[in-house]
Amino acid sequence: MSSIDTPADVPRPRAAATRPAPTTLTWVTLALMTTASVASLRAAPTMAVYGLACVFLYLVPAIVFLLPTALVSAELASGWNGGVYRWVSEGLSKPLGFLAVWCQFAMTIFYYPSLLGFVASTIAYIIDPALASSGPYTAIVIVVLYWTGVWVSSRGTKALAGLASWGLIIGTLIPGTLLVVLGMVFLGQGNPSAAPMDSSHLLPQWTGLASLVLIVNNFLSYSGMEMNAVHVSSLKDPAKEYPKSMFLAMGLVLLIFILPALAISWVVPADQLSLTAGVMQAFDAFFSYFGIGWLTPIAAVALISASLGGMLTWLAGPSKGLLEISRQEGYLPPFLQKLNKFGIQQNILVTQGVVTTVIALGYALIPNVSSVYWIFSVITTQVYLIVYLLMFAAAMRLRRTQPDHPRGYRAPALGVLCVVGLLASLAALCIGFVPSSQFGSGSVWSYVAIVGGGLVILGFVIPWAFLKFRKPSWKTAPATTPSEGEQA
Amino acid sequence: MSPTRFASEHKWVYWGAIVILVGLLITGLIRYSSVKRNNETLTKANQLQEELEKAGYPSPDTDTLERLLGTDGGQVCEDPGSALKTALWKIQQANGAAGPGMRPVITDTKAVEVERIVLQVYCPDELDDFEDSLDDLKTDDTVRR
Repeated sequence: MSSIDTPADVPRPRAAATRPAPTTLTWVTLALMTTASVASLRAAPTMAVYGLACVFLYLVPAIVFLLPTALVSAELASGWNGGVYRWVSEGLSKPLGFLAVWCQFAMTIFYYPSLLGFVASTIAYIIDPALASSGPYTAIVIVVLYWTGVWVSSRGTKALAGLASWGLIIGTLIPGTLLVVLGMVFLGQGNPSAAPMDSSHLLPQWTGLASLVLIVNNFLSYSGMEMNAVHVSSLKDPAKEYPKSMFLAMGLVLLIFILPALAISWVVPADQLSLTAGVMQAFDAFFSYFGIGWLTPIAAVALISASLGGMLTWLAGPSKGLLEISRQEGYLPPFLQKLNKFGIQQNILVTQGVVTTVIALGYALIPNVSSVYWIFSVITTQVYLIVYLLMFAAAMRLRRTQPDHPRGYRAPALGVLCVVGLLASLAALCIGFVPSSQFGSGSVWSYVAIVGGGLVILGFVIPWAFLKFRKPSWKTAPATTPSEGEQA
Repeated sequence: MSPTRFASEHKWVYWGAIVILVGLLITGLIRYSSVKRNNETLTKANQLQEELEKAGYPSPDTDTLERLLGTDGGQVCEDPGSALKTALWKIQQANGAAGPGMRPVITDTKAVEVERIVLQVYCPDELDDFEDSLDDLKTDDTVRR
């Protein structure tokens, strides 16, 4: 039993009084939500440039990062409700649990403007390409779509689960299958693959640090696999269903990432992909080859629906985790803990919305902000890696300190998985300090200072301030204990 | 009831999403059919083909080039040096993530250079602004050809 499921005869604080019964999700829906939050065809043209090596670039991170993340989070979620905050709280300490969920929450704030900026440019591609360089247009699209997402999220898990699942099916699975089928038709017609498919092209070109940056940064392709564990209490039998859900999601994510990228690389040469200056032009080049270019606007609408579906899962997950630990430990003011009639963390969503809107408007309207926006994506992925470091450390400790705690699923060789996951996360954290293409010829130390400074402020100073200034009266829910009715 | 089905309490959410997406779809299909090819699109496509071959790139299909770039370069030439377009373009020089794990990498040199040639052919007046951001881009040979 989680903190959500306190018996009716236990007096409840006011903030929780309106909380309805948990929504039931099927494990397949949760798998689709997880897949929607991680995978999309948006990355396919980018990776198609690498040809056959894209398999390597996705498989190696899958072995050293996706597998540990998926299996470890499956064990943790099958034993402890609530997601990373609960796992880290139980395994390490409550303040570190807050740090984990804060980092998961904070990193999403900078994700929405770039995601919705992409959606705005895709809509512009459909309506009028000139709009893509218009700041006011982009700002309006970001704000309208983001707040619509907040409204949908505030309607409850059921509403967003449906939209996220349909977004994945319509926007990723169907068009992804079409890409793969067309690619196979292309090869079946006797055409040679545009990208060489022999064994000498299995590995990416090795050019030292640049190749290392590419390979290690790809670990982050799978970040977010654990995020929907926060909805585990919505499953009928979480202990059995969550691991099944993770395995299905893992398979889908791998297929969605690898096969469409390969299919594009068969048909469109790498250098022609790059003359397109955008994801949609890459799809246009692919479909035009088959004389079905009219499918491009359909693919654009599909990508839009997939992106928005993915956004909904990110809106709902981390903020829910933040709410749970804040209610129990009083880490956030009561105003932010208020729930709406659907039991959703409305005020957190709205506050997050205000911050995101300010950032998004800056992104769309202030040239200097948009020009350096990519650096925020580095900082936020650095912050997110803290979540994984804490998660793997907590999993190892929980096996040692609570070996008999009922778990619906026990990950094989958990220690090895955690060590591999920790090392992969540390490697990704270190490689985040290597300047990327966009930094040009600037000083390496300036880059390290900017990324390091951002990491310290966003990942440590702000959560420390919340911990420092919290008040006992901010606790609005009883804290859970290890023995408190977990599902087995 | 499965939440993936049309729950009656959320029907307006679902219907709203469907109406907007279908509207976009119809708009996109109408706009697509309005794109015309003529002698000028063919001339430009041939010119680009020559320039690319001269620079050592594979010869692209002219049909595709006509459709993609038309006479004026289409979206590629829509203010490519603007902050927003540059931001989107730079964010795309990234790893294989589609979610919040998107992170910039060190881009392949040849893959980026092609865009410069496209701009030279289709919209040379936009080249200067774009050159600044392109010249400042650190690249390496990360694609095995």
